[in-house]
Amino acid sequence: MPPFDKTPLQNKPFKQRKSFATRKQEVAGIRTKFPNKIPVIIERYDREKFLPPLDKTKFLVPHELTMTQFVTIIRNRMALLPSQAFYLLINNSGLASMSLTMAQVYKDHQDEDGFLYMTYASQEMFGH
Amino acid sequence: MNSVSPSAAQYVGGVMQDELVENRRQHPLEQQGSFGPRPPPTLDSDRDATGEPDEMDKLKAKLMSAWNNVKYGWTVKSKTSFNKMSPVTVLGHFYLLNSEDEVERFRLAFVSRIWLTYRREFPQLEGSTWTTDCGWGCMLRSGQMLLAQGLLVHLMPRDWAWSDAQQLTDVDFEVFRPRSPARAGGVPIPSFGSPRGSNTPEKSLSSSQVPRCSQKKRPECVKDHQAEPIHHKLVTWFGDQPPAPFGVHQLVEIGKGSGKKAGDWYGPSIVAHILRKAVAKTSVVQNLAVYVAQDCTVYKEDVARLCDLSLSQTPPDPSRHAWKSVIILVPVRLGGEALNPSYIECVKNILKLECCIGIIGGKPKHSLYFIGFQDEQLLYLDPHYCQPVVDVTQANFSLESFHCTSPKKMPFNRMDPSCTIGFYARNKKDFESLCSAVSMALSSSKEKYPIFTFVDGQSQDYGLEGHSSNHSGPGAHILPPGKMGKCNSRRNSDEFVFL
Repeated sequence: MPPFDKTPLQNKPFKQRKSFATRKQEVAGIRTKFPNKIPVIIERYDREKFLPPLDKTKFLVPHELTMTQFVTIIRNRMALLPSQAFYLLINNSGLASMSLTMAQVYKDHQDEDGFLYMTYASQEMFGH
Repeated sequence: MNSVSPSAAQYVGGVMQDELVENRRQHPLEQQGSFGPRPPPTLDSDRDATGEPDEMDKLKAKLMSAWNNVKYGWTVKSKTSFNKMSPVTVLGHFYLLNSEDEVERFRLAFVSRIWLTYRREFPQLEGSTWTTDCGWGCMLRSGQMLLAQGLLVHLMPRDWAWSDAQQLTDVDFEVFRPRSPARAGGVPIPSFGSPRGSNTPEKSLSSSQVPRCSQKKRPECVKDHQAEPIHHKLVTWFGDQPPAPFGVHQLVEIGKGSGKKAGDWYGPSIVAHILRKAVAKTSVVQNLAVYVAQDCTVYKEDVARLCDLSLSQTPPDPSRHAWKSVIILVPVRLGGEALNPSYIECVKNILKLECCIGIIGGKPKHSLYFIGFQDEQLLYLDPHYCQPVVDVTQANFSLESFHCTSPKKMPFNRMDPSCTIGFYARNKKDFESLCSAVSMALSSSKEKYPIFTFVDGQSQDYGLEGHSSNHSGPGAHILPPGKMGKCNSRRNSDEFVFL
């Protein structure tokens, strides 16, 4: 890391914090230990203003967990009201149907390094 | 825009302090717009100062509204070009603008929509000094327009058109080279609309060139005697007076429950919930409910519970098969920073559905009410025109400022990903066909998964037992303010969490 880069390491996106090789190794290790779990990275959308940051980014999720259940867990961690806008974007672009299981989403969207990447965001506000 | 109320603090927890600081910093920027020449700085300074003379306030409001109208192109109007070779879609109806008849049908379809804009000099919003929503209330206005459209469908005869609808202004109809999005090569054809800038367009063309109400083509004109009073009444519900059930006063009041207040910016999801509460609260609209989807899912049984009157009766009376009509609002986020382009096809397909009552969203920071599209451009109604308040309690108040004569378009790729999509179903059967029609429209997306889904059952069947009320220890999971940069959180954040 260049000495003049003042961004603290842990504030950078996960992919920038660790090299591809390290990430791949990490997935291989955890998959061997816990073959029934899916490694998921959840990060806050970098311009998010309303939702709080999560203290953890790495999650091990059971295959059969549905997206609805997964979202409920994350919502609860943030103590959000049911009516508050909360979206999980896969690879920061697409929404996943709530009835899918994590295994299905993982099969379709896992990264080359073996993690499944998701970004959470609320909605933008309008005023001008 | 600098709102932080106790109820907001409840759900945003630890970030409240940062938020407060950030919002304060943004305040001057947001208030005055981030581009173009700035208005004189005195305009917004110290709005909260008490004891200012009324005249001064009025002058300020006038200056601000004049500035707003210049900034958003209402003073120097620009023309909107329509391709005569490809159809325009407006809320499930199609118009190929290559004949006068079709242009006439399009005109009636567009001008008959209810247009709600910024207003000035209305009674002060309770708990604030605001007497205008100019500069902050555009999302509320878009929401009002969406609800107004739902109410038109609910209350007016099918295919109703406003018989006093004026001529279109600031439009061109051109032949575009097929498949070319650019104007190059287009042959300008004289506009069917009125000459630019004319304030009395009806005289200029309607009587001779465009027959306004020929009996054979528009039987709905016959019904106008019954429909017109309802139309009038419907607009009064959106009046800028505290008692109006869907007026800005009422909506701001309801928004306080979500931690918003007058002067704040609103989002399409918050506005969906405000509309739901406003309809539930009022007695002026009978037999209509609003359902807001959560987490991009419409739970059919939750809709049924809201609409099925036999279920709400005690004891339940299955012999009464009455169903309330329902407006279904689905707040979504179609991408991160920008609209995910693979959703464009899907948005088009939704706007092609007759059950669709439009989409509230906009360009970034700038709310618009989308009602259709042509080629790669969305057609919208723009709330950013600041008009003087109209006293809708007067009998026979003018409806002119509640209808827009200049259709505008913007490219799909400038659409902000945050929006709320609206649908209407008159009865149970209608709702069933809505579910299948919308599902089909959604499956056309190039993305692997649809934007949202319909599922059987209630939302509580799908959650986690015992988790839904587990709000007891959220503090442990949310990083307290200031800790982000500290090293001790690093090791923790590197561990896996087991779910």
